[in-house]
Amino acid sequence: MSQALADILVLDVSGTVSTTYCAKLFADYGATVVNLEPEEGFPTRELAPLIENAACTSAMHAYLNANKQSVRRDLLSDEEFSRLISQADLVLNDGGAEALTDASLSMSITWYGEDGPYADFVGADAQCFALNGMLRTIGHAEGPPLIPTGYQAQIVGGTTAFIGAMGQVLARELTPSSVPLHLQTSIFEAMLCFTEVGVITAYNTGLEGHRLGINRFPPTYPLGVFPCRDGWIGLTVLTPSQWHAFCELLDMSEFSAVDLFQSSVGRLEAVDLIEPVICEKLLNFSAEDLFYRAQNAAVPLARVPTMEELFQVDQFVQRNAFAAVDVGNGKSLQMPTIPFRLFSTPPKLGGAVAPLGADTQDYKS
Amino acid sequence: MIERSLNGIRIVDLSMGWAGPLAARQLADMGADVIKVESCERFDWWRSWEATPEWIDDEGAEKSSAFNMVNRNKRAITLDLEDTDGRDLLLRLVRTANAVVENFSGGVLPKLNLGYETFKRVNEKIILLSMPAFGSTGPWRNFRAYGSTVEQASGLPHLNGLAQDPPTMHHVAYGDAVGGLNGAAALLVALRHQARRGEGQFVDLSQVEALFPLAAHGIMHYSATRSEVPRTGNQTAGAAPHGVYACAGDDEWIVIQIFNDEQWQALRQQATPYLDVITDRFAQGEALDRAISDWTENQVSHQLMRALQAKHIPAAATHKASTLLNDEHLQARGYWQWMNRAVVGNQPNPTAPFRAGDVAVELTSPAPTLGEHNREVLVEELGLSEQEFTRLLSRGVIGNRPRMPSRKR
Repeated sequence: MSQALADILVLDVSGTVSTTYCAKLFADYGATVVNLEPEEGFPTRELAPLIENAACTSAMHAYLNANKQSVRRDLLSDEEFSRLISQADLVLNDGGAEALTDASLSMSITWYGEDGPYADFVGADAQCFALNGMLRTIGHAEGPPLIPTGYQAQIVGGTTAFIGAMGQVLARELTPSSVPLHLQTSIFEAMLCFTEVGVITAYNTGLEGHRLGINRFPPTYPLGVFPCRDGWIGLTVLTPSQWHAFCELLDMSEFSAVDLFQSSVGRLEAVDLIEPVICEKLLNFSAEDLFYRAQNAAVPLARVPTMEELFQVDQFVQRNAFAAVDVGNGKSLQMPTIPFRLFSTPPKLGGAVAPLGADTQDYKS
Repeated sequence: MIERSLNGIRIVDLSMGWAGPLAARQLADMGADVIKVESCERFDWWRSWEATPEWIDDEGAEKSSAFNMVNRNKRAITLDLEDTDGRDLLLRLVRTANAVVENFSGGVLPKLNLGYETFKRVNEKIILLSMPAFGSTGPWRNFRAYGSTVEQASGLPHLNGLAQDPPTMHHVAYGDAVGGLNGAAALLVALRHQARRGEGQFVDLSQVEALFPLAAHGIMHYSATRSEVPRTGNQTAGAAPHGVYACAGDDEWIVIQIFNDEQWQALRQQATPYLDVITDRFAQGEALDRAISDWTENQVSHQLMRALQAKHIPAAATHKASTLLNDEHLQARGYWQWMNRAVVGNQPNPTAPFRAGDVAVELTSPAPTLGEHNREVLVEELGLSEQEFTRLLSRGVIGNRPRMPSRKR
């Protein structure tokens, strides 16, 4: 069966991480996505990490743009461009200058939105973590706060924009409309999904999240990444029954029934007392062994795989969580596949990335 | 108009905690009729995971900011799904719905004799979105996880922090919110296919895999180079300065990131004479950070942010939870909307993170109380008789007051 969005045409006229990720979700479900690139190509073509000896030199560009078409915007006439815009079900941009008045449905994804006092701010991922309130809580207690790496805010922005745009694509299927509609997503506001709970909790209780140290944060303890004999495990013990099971697992029965330790907050307050014992006990276990034993005891515990190990985890291998994307010159790279799977209309896994302008002729009249 | 665009779509929301309810909330914000189903004993654990009789007497179930934040714009009923009548009523509700959302650990629905095949028998076109931590297939499908476990299992902590520290988390249940966004995306694709082709289907979301795109820079680095990304704290290749600098006041900071020479010259001008000693911003990293810290330490972070941004210098002050409500930008954009909610009174709520034009999506109703819409949904819409409604109330199959769980959670 064809993919669920096979009849949809999406244009990306900007080529930011956010617009390309938003469009990628459409492409993975079969939409025709056309990258309208400038002569020098989309900005994503320059992003680290870079690939040696491949036609597509940016691994991030390849990840974000597999199964899309590439058209050189400068080689289209204004008429050809306008026709393409008017045919599209959705046009994505970064709020840049090119007018999209011919688009029936458009979405801008900008750092701070199209209006408001910060609208003209120069944006970056780290800024969203600063302004959304997360950054202050990450890092050693004495500071400075630690910046999360990569393109995370832009990916969250792209996912959020997909929800907004896809909602309107669905709405038009339910109630056909030809009235042009322009949507906007602010990456900063999209990033508030992580902290909105904290904002309202602070409003109601006056309680504020503080930076307590690496991997130490409410609402519970133990919660974090700990070394075992041969690797890292991630642990979250929240409920009383999980605490009792965890104590049994690590042979810490003396802690199991302590009154203060029955509540998640109580354990967090007593962290200096509990942590040395837990860390010492964990060194008796192999990470893999403890993982299975904990899950059998209904304790939420996971291995924390390195990037190399991710590709070898049986769960991910069996689910095709990674697939090969052809980056040209006979080379392909393993990349994450889309995390949600429609069983009757499954997504594309893997594919190829188009060289700059490869599809231009198809859109020339 | 966004707030009415999915009128006519009905979602049965069996999910609890953060991820599933956030997924359903996105559709509720667009006008879908989202009916949350809990039971008096198995209520949403985000109301509390440590319920006591005192908490129940104190109406604690209605006071959870987290629960109330993520369940606005929904209706709520209670059904004991371990009871035959409760289960039958759920299936009657599913018959009227477009989709069901659940984020239980794998194995919970089968124990209740529920699942996609059961739902499909009563509604050929139904969509079931299952969003367990590791997905619905594979050897780990039944494994337990919270949003924090999801982050740990994704490998993402290996990309953050300093080499000498443990792999560093985001200090919030990071996997939950990302899982929720992906759940909404998945539902919308399946609903559009349903609207176009009249077909339902099973939809599987792995919340762990949903974090892989956020780790893509590290995953792709390994894929392209067969090496791990070094963990360098606040330093990043190609940018200098790039850090978080203390400002005046208690725990106030500003992020400054300089990506090109134009920004660097603008910063030098702003920070005169502090940066005059720097001749090579890439080679003199420590001296550079020290000079900037000396310059920022007596300045008000948000004022400094505005001054630097006025010169197109990438900078942002840190907010804390309590100051976000007063952020001038969010206020100007109508981001926080106030609604009066039973038990807790007037409450701020974040609007949807997307909008049509410059108009924020208007929220229509606060989070429902436990079982608030039992009569409306079960009697008025599903046609349960008053006599039957009363009988179910007396048996505790439905209700609007939590009961202490009879089994450990």
